[in-house]
Amino acid sequence: MKDSFRQSMAWLHTWTGLVPGWLLYIIFLFGTVAYFQSEISRWMRPELTPAPVSAKALDAADALLRQRAAGAASWNVTLPDDRRGDPLSVSWMPEGADRSQREKFSLDPATGQEIAVRETSGGFFLYRMHFDLHYMPVYWARYLACIAALSMLVAILSGVVTHKKIFTDFFLLRFGKGQRSWLDAHNVTAVLALPFYLMITYTGLVTLLFTLMPWAITASFGTPGAFFEASSPPPPKLEAAQASGPRLPLSMLVASAERSSEGMKPAFITIRKPGDPTSPVEIWPQTNSLGGERAMIFLDGATGEILHREGGRGGAKATQQVMINLHAGRFSGPMLRWLYFLSGVGGTIMVATGLVLWTVKRRAKLPDPARPHFGFRLVERLNIGFIAGAPAGIACYFLANRLLPLDMAHRSDWEVNLLFIGWGALFVWSIGRPAKQAWVETLTACATLYALVPLVNAATTSHGLVPSLFAGDRVFVTFDLLMLVMAAACAFTARKVLAHQPKAAPRRRAAPTMAEAGA
Amino acid sequence: MIHAFIFLLAFAGFAALLMAMSRHQQEWLRRKLSPRAGRSLRFSGFAALTIAFQLAGLGLGWAYGTVVWCGWLSAAAALVVAINVNRERLLERFRP
Repeated sequence: MKDSFRQSMAWLHTWTGLVPGWLLYIIFLFGTVAYFQSEISRWMRPELTPAPVSAKALDAADALLRQRAAGAASWNVTLPDDRRGDPLSVSWMPEGADRSQREKFSLDPATGQEIAVRETSGGFFLYRMHFDLHYMPVYWARYLACIAALSMLVAILSGVVTHKKIFTDFFLLRFGKGQRSWLDAHNVTAVLALPFYLMITYTGLVTLLFTLMPWAITASFGTPGAFFEASSPPPPKLEAAQASGPRLPLSMLVASAERSSEGMKPAFITIRKPGDPTSPVEIWPQTNSLGGERAMIFLDGATGEILHREGGRGGAKATQQVMINLHAGRFSGPMLRWLYFLSGVGGTIMVATGLVLWTVKRRAKLPDPARPHFGFRLVERLNIGFIAGAPAGIACYFLANRLLPLDMAHRSDWEVNLLFIGWGALFVWSIGRPAKQAWVETLTACATLYALVPLVNAATTSHGLVPSLFAGDRVFVTFDLLMLVMAAACAFTARKVLAHQPKAAPRRRAAPTMAEAGA
Repeated sequence: MIHAFIFLLAFAGFAALLMAMSRHQQEWLRRKLSPRAGRSLRFSGFAALTIAFQLAGLGLGWAYGTVVWCGWLSAAAALVVAINVNRERLLERFRP
């Protein structure tokens, strides 16, 4: 048995951190990127002219639905949020059709004209990847995410115990001291945003609450269906007499919903059975406050009166909602969003340095450093393939968005496939190379790909860095600059690894760079 | 604007906390401060962080402000760490 409490905690920290480590890295990386999902969507849809949704556009959406989707099973209207990464889109399910046959149109949010927007999943894919992964059933992915998050929570708590000098070493980061430097970098990134990591891990578990603990429902409700019915009651049915006339245009319904409460901004509008005038209009608001319950409201389509407002679903539900809001940060303004992003970058670096530290610590103790054992090689290879490969994949995703033909079939799927093809190619390449060269080459590839993004953007759209600067288009300018920062960070890290000469004893690695994992 | 004040207060707070530690006093000043000076630096450091919290809460609402405060604490502490890492380079510039 381990001889002291701290040693057993160190053991726990090592293994709960390492085993799900690569998944944690992916979750942190994509989650961090997802804080800017609307801005990324905006960059990935350069055809879109961002503007607030006008009444004119809503009426155009209304006319389109009445004209082309009269017999549909349901109508859906999605309104872009204040960050304007998405078009105003209308979609419907033809009667008797399945989900794949959904009809969808994008409208200009100001004029309501139909616009041809390239087919892309935008930032939304990066956000989904954060917890649903890809190429596997969502159900399994979420279980994996749950296990990773649980391990993370254990790793954080045991890490605090292991790193006893949390306060005396608070500001300590020493470069050029081999293993000590990696330890410093891991400790500093861990300690500086510790409240964030605890919050994000715990609230992350809360978002997957019922995946993790389905028994909470079965204990009191019998079936999941009964729980959902109790927690979100079905829409009320209007009395036939109340349906006194045709449905009001969307612009008036939205105006009525916005008047109903302070700061209410619709995000989604659904009309089930649009042919039936008695079916209520369902409006989902945007999440724009931390404490706010996202209460759906039901309107009488003929009068615009509010029939029912969800809410008052109890303290537990409200607490859960606050935790989810705290995790997703959708309520945050631009400044707080950057802080969320930077804390996420810190977390990504923390996981990456932790993974590298595992190999650095063991390299010195290898019986024959030239021929390490299988476990060591596995961790080393996975580190290279994930830490440098995954960010490179994201760069491929952005490049694919600009380079794939606009009329390609399944275009958005291919953008995603290219993310994994780029990442996979780099991974396979790195396996065949000696560790040091593998790091240098994958990081150089990563830097090159990120540097290419602004160039390709300038060549293929009218939103290059220079025109965007003149136009004062903050999203495009910031996006391109961040790509360059990322490229510089990868290039810097590659140079550091290249310049590093291991000493005979004690063995040391390159100075750690804060940019290792990057944005 | 309020973000700038919260950040500056947090930064000043962490800078004071750094200088309250004898190890860092030695590195920055090449001497150790008296225990009394260290204590008052530590006290003012925590006081600055507390005032930053008050400011965030009063200016941005206690819920939103608390989240913002935590964010700026991390950012400010990270900047102090970055400056401390580049200590030699900075000192060379200011101290021949």
